[in-house]
Amino acid sequence: MIELRDVRKVFNEGQHNEYAALSGISLTIEPHRVTALRGPSGSGKTTLLTLIGCLARPTSGRVSLHGRDISGLPERFLTEIRRKTFGFVFQQFNLIKGMSALENIMLPAYPTGRPHKELKARAGSLLERLRLSHRGGAKVEWLSGGEQQRVAIARALINDPEVLIADEPTANLDTALAKEFLALLERFGEEGRTVILTSHDPLVVESAAVHRVVDMRDGQIVSE
Amino acid sequence: MIFQPAIIALLSASLVSVAMLLAAAPFAAQVIRHWDIASGSERQLRLERRTYLFSTLTVFVMATQLAALLLFVFNADKMSEMFVGAMCAVGTLNVNPYGFPALIAQMTVFFLAAAWLAINHIDTRAPDYPLVRVKYGALLALLPAVALVLGLQLEYFLNLEADVITSCCGSLFSEDTKGLSGDLAALPPVPAMAIFYVGMGAAIAIAAWHGLRRNAGYLVALASIAAFAVAIAGILAFVSLYIYEHPHHHCPFCILKPEYGHQGYLLYVPLFVATAAGIGAGAIQPFRGIASLREVVPRVSARLATVAATGFALVVVVATWMVLRSNLILLEG
Repeated sequence: MIELRDVRKVFNEGQHNEYAALSGISLTIEPHRVTALRGPSGSGKTTLLTLIGCLARPTSGRVSLHGRDISGLPERFLTEIRRKTFGFVFQQFNLIKGMSALENIMLPAYPTGRPHKELKARAGSLLERLRLSHRGGAKVEWLSGGEQQRVAIARALINDPEVLIADEPTANLDTALAKEFLALLERFGEEGRTVILTSHDPLVVESAAVHRVVDMRDGQIVSE
Repeated sequence: MIFQPAIIALLSASLVSVAMLLAAAPFAAQVIRHWDIASGSERQLRLERRTYLFSTLTVFVMATQLAALLLFVFNADKMSEMFVGAMCAVGTLNVNPYGFPALIAQMTVFFLAAAWLAINHIDTRAPDYPLVRVKYGALLALLPAVALVLGLQLEYFLNLEADVITSCCGSLFSEDTKGLSGDLAALPPVPAMAIFYVGMGAAIAIAAWHGLRRNAGYLVALASIAAFAVAIAGILAFVSLYIYEHPHHHCPFCILKPEYGHQGYLLYVPLFVATAAGIGAGAIQPFRGIASLREVVPRVSARLATVAATGFALVVVVATWMVLRSNLILLEG
């Protein structure tokens, strides 16, 4: 369970361009469910995701995972949590050009020290699950948007994280590819994986694959 | 006189250290007053973020202090050729009344810095900053010590006068000199060797035991301090004689000179490292009861004790090797 207590995030604090991206967010995210953060651009969805995923620290307030505070942890412990607990799918996918799909997928697992053979097998099975086996050796810049997204999902799953975090996962996809993503989301829900995503795409937030929608505006939760 | 590269380096190191600790002092005071890990307040989170910066800063200061001791001794030895009557570092340190106090203060800060670094190391191994108050409190306590080193160094280096006729080591470390140095120099070789080997053997055994069994941390620190004293006494009483191949030359500084192949560094570097590690092993013992450090303290102190045991063993091996290869015969038959 992920719990946020009175979380604030202020950028450029004390400067003339100070900006409060989040103001007093308190939220509990249940495990094994798909939760969507919905809101217009600038509502604080992505900032909230980065705080939950330990990519940034709050200005005040606490974020806890299974009752353990993770927002104040020293960096060496955060790295481990980021690697093992969270899998990230970024809006622009952030795949590394010049490397193959398979290599991109294996990359986050290298620091774990698992044997290369084992990693390759795991990456191969993820590609197969996402119907991309035939594209494993292709450089990522040669892949279509939908294929790139599936590689990004496979990469997020390589360390078998408890929580999958996806920022605007369908923003760069057409309707057909967005529906493919929803099918995947449904499978993750059935598997009991916790998924937290941001979206203002009605196709996603109104889909049956999403269990809970949290509405945000101006850095605050407005309704659930 | 002050425009010597080593003196400039030493004074700069001390100045930077004092300046950094002064800069960290208000933060340390804030941590001591306001730290509350249970709170998610803006101030608490700001303190948590800044603790990385100030810890890194302080680690740099402490590491500088460790290196400064070596440079101080090296410089004192190197400058001996500039003073009439000085044969080695002893002459240089005797040029004015601040030389030896500056050396002793630098050595004290060296060991205090080692203890602080050990405490900081275990604190960074726990997820809940368990020693943050302790280490910033210690930082505030260390600030006057580092400032004292700077003050003594300034007094010492600014008052170095080349036309002063200083005394050489022969007058300080001879059997006829009154005081501790004379008493140690006057120790007959057999009891001196017995004290050296028994003392060092005991320290090695205690440190090695703790390395394996992890139940004698405080004893390791005490044994290390005792071993340091015993080793210095042994160097004064007999090891130096074998290095110089002279039955009456007891100086613990001449062995650092190039004429003697800088052999002293082979003894002093492992001795200081081992003592610092031993003190570090003891310094972290009071915190072994803290839940998040219950596994960390035994593991780190065992590692430090192993370093101490290895360092002291090296001192014994090097000293024995120096005795065996020497042409001096102190013990008949």
